[in-house]
Amino acid sequence: MNKIAKKLMTLGTVAALAGAVSVANAETLKIGLAGPATGPVAQYGDMQKIGVMAAIDDINKAGGINGMQLEGVIYDDACDPKQAVAVANKIVNDGVQHVVGHLCSSSTEPAADIYDEEGVLMITAASTSPTITEKGFQLVFRTIGLDSLQGSLAADHILNSVKPQRVAVIHDKQQYGEGLATAVKTKLEGNNLNPVMFEGVTPGDKDFSALIAKLKKNNIDFVYYGGYHPELGLILRQSSEKGFKAQFMGPEGVVNSDLAKIAGKAVEGVLATAPKSFDQNAVNQARVEAIKAKGEDPTGPFVFTAYAAVEVMTNAMKATGKTDPFELADHIRATELDTAIGKVKYNKQGDLTESTFLVYKLHQDGSKTPAQ
Amino acid sequence: MTNKFYNALFASGIAFILTCLMVGIKLDTEGTQLAIKGASAEQWTWIGLGIALVFLSQLFSDKIDAIFSKVPKPKLSNMLPKEQKMATLKPWLLALLIVGMLVWPFMVSRGSVDLATLALIYIMLGLGLNIVVGLAGLLDLGFVAFYAVGAYTYALLSQYFGMSFWACLPISAGLAALFGFILGFPVLRLRGDYLAIVTLGFGEIIRILLNNWTAVTGGPNGISGIDKPTLFGLEFSRRAKEEDTVLFHEFFGIDYSSSYKVIFLYLIAVILTIFVVYVINRLMRMPVGRAWEALREDEIACRSLGLNRTVIKLSAFTLGATTAGFAGAFFAARQGFISPESFIFIESAIILAIVVLGGMGSQVGVILAAIIMTILPELAREFSEYRMLLFGFLMVIMMRWRPQGLVPMKRPHLELNR
Amino acid sequence: MSEFSLYLLQQLINGLTIGSTYALIAIGYTMVYGIIGMINFAHGEIYMIGSYVTFIVIAGLLGMGLVSLPIVLLIVLIVAVIVSSTYGWTVERVAYRPLRGSNRLIPLISAIGMSIFLQNYVGLSQGYRDAALPPQVVGGWTFGDPAVFEVTISYMQSIIWIATLLTMTALTLFISRSRMGRACRACSEDLGMTNLLGIDTNKIIALTFIVGAALAAVAGILLSLYYGVINPFVGFIAGLKAFTAAVLGGIGSIPGAMLGGLILGVTEAMTAAFFPAEYKDVVSFGLLVLILLFRPSGLLGKPEVEKV
Repeated sequence: MNKIAKKLMTLGTVAALAGAVSVANAETLKIGLAGPATGPVAQYGDMQKIGVMAAIDDINKAGGINGMQLEGVIYDDACDPKQAVAVANKIVNDGVQHVVGHLCSSSTEPAADIYDEEGVLMITAASTSPTITEKGFQLVFRTIGLDSLQGSLAADHILNSVKPQRVAVIHDKQQYGEGLATAVKTKLEGNNLNPVMFEGVTPGDKDFSALIAKLKKNNIDFVYYGGYHPELGLILRQSSEKGFKAQFMGPEGVVNSDLAKIAGKAVEGVLATAPKSFDQNAVNQARVEAIKAKGEDPTGPFVFTAYAAVEVMTNAMKATGKTDPFELADHIRATELDTAIGKVKYNKQGDLTESTFLVYKLHQDGSKTPAQ
Repeated sequence: MTNKFYNALFASGIAFILTCLMVGIKLDTEGTQLAIKGASAEQWTWIGLGIALVFLSQLFSDKIDAIFSKVPKPKLSNMLPKEQKMATLKPWLLALLIVGMLVWPFMVSRGSVDLATLALIYIMLGLGLNIVVGLAGLLDLGFVAFYAVGAYTYALLSQYFGMSFWACLPISAGLAALFGFILGFPVLRLRGDYLAIVTLGFGEIIRILLNNWTAVTGGPNGISGIDKPTLFGLEFSRRAKEEDTVLFHEFFGIDYSSSYKVIFLYLIAVILTIFVVYVINRLMRMPVGRAWEALREDEIACRSLGLNRTVIKLSAFTLGATTAGFAGAFFAARQGFISPESFIFIESAIILAIVVLGGMGSQVGVILAAIIMTILPELAREFSEYRMLLFGFLMVIMMRWRPQGLVPMKRPHLELNR
Repeated sequence: MSEFSLYLLQQLINGLTIGSTYALIAIGYTMVYGIIGMINFAHGEIYMIGSYVTFIVIAGLLGMGLVSLPIVLLIVLIVAVIVSSTYGWTVERVAYRPLRGSNRLIPLISAIGMSIFLQNYVGLSQGYRDAALPPQVVGGWTFGDPAVFEVTISYMQSIIWIATLLTMTALTLFISRSRMGRACRACSEDLGMTNLLGIDTNKIIALTFIVGAALAAVAGILLSLYYGVINPFVGFIAGLKAFTAAVLGGIGSIPGAMLGGLILGVTEAMTAAFFPAEYKDVVSFGLLVLILLFRPSGLLGKPEVEKV
């Protein structure tokens, strides 16, 4: 009895050891996920996380990349530039060579410097500031369009289709919002439609009644808002309460089901420039369902850009059979890649050569239809 | 015992109210409508366990307290050798420490060196605020404003005039001092917490102005591509930006390593910090330093002894600002990019926490606290999203554990027994 | 009326609405300060918790099919006040009471720690994402010539005014008439002496936190219904503003907090009305500095007596 037990135990130990070895044999490739997991913008960091983790799950289920399983490692920068530098150094330290992030442009900028110097491939899914790629980095890419493209599309639509009399351009004093608002304003001015108002609001503010009264007094009939959905939602909601009726328009940052939750009926008819909505793409249906099954929300603006960021990396890995960041970067620049956000092509700087933005009309049930 | 039992029951009732709505029920959305859903069974188990724990700990609070009181509170002062021995040992210890600080970065990883650099920035900030809060007893909640002035001074001078870090360092400190002087002049007649809110206001105003003055400061876009410091004109990058710049590794004929840059930045920070520590240490022994403390202890007595309180307060404010300017310029150099987001109120709060945790007025304490407060969030990375939760919790715990600070300032003093 | 005066009137209405909620939160700061001389930085977080409770209860009741608004609001009021007060009490018990008697900066840091803790606690349990509630009270009155400028007062705005007025009256009565209120006033005059006179000061301090939290909960209900959007960080911004209001009016003075809140709200609205809105905070902080320069203890604050 005793002997048998002993034998069994030895057998068990051997089996356990073998199991451990075989697990260790299956290599894992770490993908860094840098963005805010805490702090006031953690909600956007969440979207990025949902997208990246979904992509990693899907790829692992399909057998991984070149025989390797992927593992997402979360690095929290709290959207604090100081922590972003620390995180970037930590990522270099940990030997992680592929990073999706960062989220806030002000974190991405100082971090990109480090990644490019240290040979880490970085793809941001959310930072739209043009200055990030202007420095001519070799290893820095993004899966989100530049502000300038969207701004000029919005301005064209205003000039050609809406033809308003008195325009106000409002923004949230943040890099994304102000950049877009300035782009719209410049183009409008170039076509002899001078905005009556050009103003910033404080992000995180809740009360816009003073601003709305001012818009009303200036007889504004068209408002372009550069920024994100919480503020525009509140502006719409309070406008309808105050009886201020104008045509509103926003960038993709406002296209979010939360907008309808905040503003209710007031959302009906608001215009927005947005890339084709990825969560409605046929190819993404299964992914949307998988994310929903995990109890997470697939509708955030950065979910599928983050998904695509992982895909850009892994597609390049598949094609080249390597993981070396420099070779991957060359491949990404040279070829067209098929991702969750459609086919993507990069220019020399690492920006998308074309981002297919369309003008949409938003509806109160959270859906949208192309505008005429 | 029954009393205790009711007490425990009460505490667990409180715990139930605290958790059942906020943790037990979650906000959710159905379509565009707000809805709620209950937490998972696992979470309810945790809530139940938590409440049970509260109940038991209250029921047996005497015994738990007894156990904890047996655990001796570490007394840092006891660990230090006696006064006289200290005097002979001190120079050696200091020398050892400095040598250690200089050699250390070559042995550890890049991430640690970078973190140490960040800690050194906070040491400088803490020491600066220590003059204002710890020594002069003026509560300043907008210290970050001077930090911002220093950082933006270097960033702007570098961007528009291409000036080097070394030339800008004194200018940044000087400009921050000027700001400290200008802001300090009108507000110093305010007392206590009124001063606190006014300085907080100034901090916010400076940040908002930096954010709104897009034409010069780049507004929310910040300033990028700030030059890194050079060693007598030698640059620490992989590739030369311009033709005539000489690279460090080429000059010495060694292979390029990215850690040189990080280590070099660290060494600059060490030198700056030692300089700041030395100057402030001397100042504390000068009449002006004594005057700060005298003013903190008793303003009226101070005035009746013929000390000019405006001059004393202003000197504290200005010197604190100068130190922040130093730290700011260095911060801009380390980041290579700055934007107003780096200078928000919570930054001031953290610096203040460093001073208070360190034991107000004590340099060693502030240095220790700065290291703890920088390293703590990094160590807590293991807990990923629970990181900041833990950080806040530990701040409360540390205050309860050592309300007098880690290393309270001690002066040799005599007391007459009445 | 001319366009200008109508516009001015509209902005005044907007300013008073936001100002009255500042005032409600500011009272929590001022009461605590008046009694134990500490700035309770975690107070904004109590307001935030009140907002979350409001959302949870409304969503729950609507989900159960209860639609009668007055009943819903009554239940919300009861639950939010209970939960927020419990949080207020616990924060005091855990983070401040053990520190009583130490340097006055110690509880301040503890409060900042508590504030970080509560933000992340709610963030982790309820998600960092904005939660949104569709408008529950819609409509309003309009007057003025539509061709010139139409002034609107929404029902919600009037509810905020009335609720603030009622709460303030109740508080004033409580402080001036009741036994507990008298004990509160005694504590704010001289804590040590009150203790010697046989009043359990710890109890009174705890009561102050509970009352302050209850008022913050009322503000939380009103504002979360008015704006309809909350996230775990709303308390911080609102708290900072309310704290400013409390100091403006003279910290430690309850009428001062009310006045300070209203002045701050109106200033913000007027700045946004006549200058670019992004300078709103600069002007309100600038005003604060100016007022403190001429009245170093705020508008209604007692000048500090220098004691030897």
